[in-house]
Amino acid sequence: MPENTPYMVAAYIITAVILLAYALLLYRRTLKS
Amino acid sequence: MVEILRHGWLLARKDLLVEFRSRTAILSAVVFTVLVLLVFNFGRDPTAVAAVDLAPSILWVTFTFAAVLALNRAFQLELENQALDGLLLAPVSRASIYLGKLVANLIFVAVVEGVGLPLFALFFNVAILPVLGPLLVVIALATVGFVAVGTLFSAMTARTRFAELLLPVLLLPFMLPPLIWAVFATAALLAGRPLSEATAWLRFLAAFDLVFVTLAFLLFPATVNE
Amino acid sequence: MNLLKAGRWITALGLVLLAGVYVRALAFTPIERTQGVAQKIFYLHVPAAIWTETAMILVGLASVFFLFLKDPRLDRFAEASAEAGIVFGSIVLTTGPIWGKPIWGTWWTWDARLTLTLLLFLMYVGYLLLRGAVTDAGLRARYAAVLGICGACLVPFVHLSVIMFRTLHPQPIILKPGPPSLPAEMLVTFLLSFGVFTMLYVGFVMQRYALSLLREEARHA
Repeated sequence: MPENTPYMVAAYIITAVILLAYALLLYRRTLKS
Repeated sequence: MVEILRHGWLLARKDLLVEFRSRTAILSAVVFTVLVLLVFNFGRDPTAVAAVDLAPSILWVTFTFAAVLALNRAFQLELENQALDGLLLAPVSRASIYLGKLVANLIFVAVVEGVGLPLFALFFNVAILPVLGPLLVVIALATVGFVAVGTLFSAMTARTRFAELLLPVLLLPFMLPPLIWAVFATAALLAGRPLSEATAWLRFLAAFDLVFVTLAFLLFPATVNE
Repeated sequence: MNLLKAGRWITALGLVLLAGVYVRALAFTPIERTQGVAQKIFYLHVPAAIWTETAMILVGLASVFFLFLKDPRLDRFAEASAEAGIVFGSIVLTTGPIWGKPIWGTWWTWDARLTLTLLLFLMYVGYLLLRGAVTDAGLRARYAAVLGICGACLVPFVHLSVIMFRTLHPQPIILKPGPPSLPAEMLVTFLLSFGVFTMLYVGFVMQRYALSLLREEARHA
């Protein structure tokens, strides 16, 4: 069903964003300490 | 074992005496309960929604608020004049301190529920008498569930900065399962469904109580020991 | 700090492999017949869900051992695992509704599994709030342990409710008795994704643990 694609894309993007954001957060927090 | 029960009862009596002498907490809890019931009543359109559909939720929201009110004041009694230290130095086991608090909280909440239930039946025209027995069992089981966990948590939050805010936040995930089961059971009972439909929820409630009361007794010393 | 470096490398590797999983899931895995393309959300949603719960169980275990052994390393681990749990929990709670909307027609439903995943997430939040509210380190560790144990004990009740009542949420197809009912190519993609999420969990926890250690050292300096 091609009309499902936007949902799938959104989910994949959000997951990547959350994981990257947390990884970045950890990286920056440990740089400072 | 008997010592724990005896000391626990003595401690509960102390709390209850303090509570009922001033009567402020119990009265505000009762008044609050009545207010909540009234607001729910005026908030709904009686032609659109039958009372019996909303009734279980209304009942349990009311009882939940009452329980949170009771729990908030539970350990605050001990904050003044470092009464908690006095309690900890007394020759009573930690288990009896927890038991005392638990019993006092349960009685407090039971009084509020005792006023709330008949008023609820009255305001919403709900026939609770035919199912009163099982209904009281549901109420008792659910109340023990969240008061047991709440008493444990209030020992931890009492000395934090936003105690009255933190306690409900911590308690919420633990109150939801018993609350949900209680609402389902109440709904089944009030709708006149056969008792067997409610028993699954009752079993969950009983299991929850067993696990968490035991856990609370085991963990309470960790919250007050230095 | 060795732990920190290792954690960073593992996380970086995990992220790179995640990209690989994305490619495999999107381009090299067959499209499911009834759900269409949206089904692919499964490859991210389920590993995240497994780790959300596992992280909570680990917080619980660490808490139990901490109360007995009083080893601060266990407390540090619990804190790290709880943060990782919130991260994975956010993934579950965002990808879940996004999956639900096209498939069930609704963003949210109060069925057992969703309600209780939300509960788990709230528990993590409460856990971290409690930690933030207690200033004394010893007290904080003990209180957190108590909460962690209670949280972990709630999880079986969650599962019992889900298994006992048929709900809108798909019945477990991987973690159930008997062989998984998933065709081979999809199973492989799923397992790869699960491996990557595992790697990310480990990397996150290692870094967060190292951070706690660094902060404590800074305070003592």
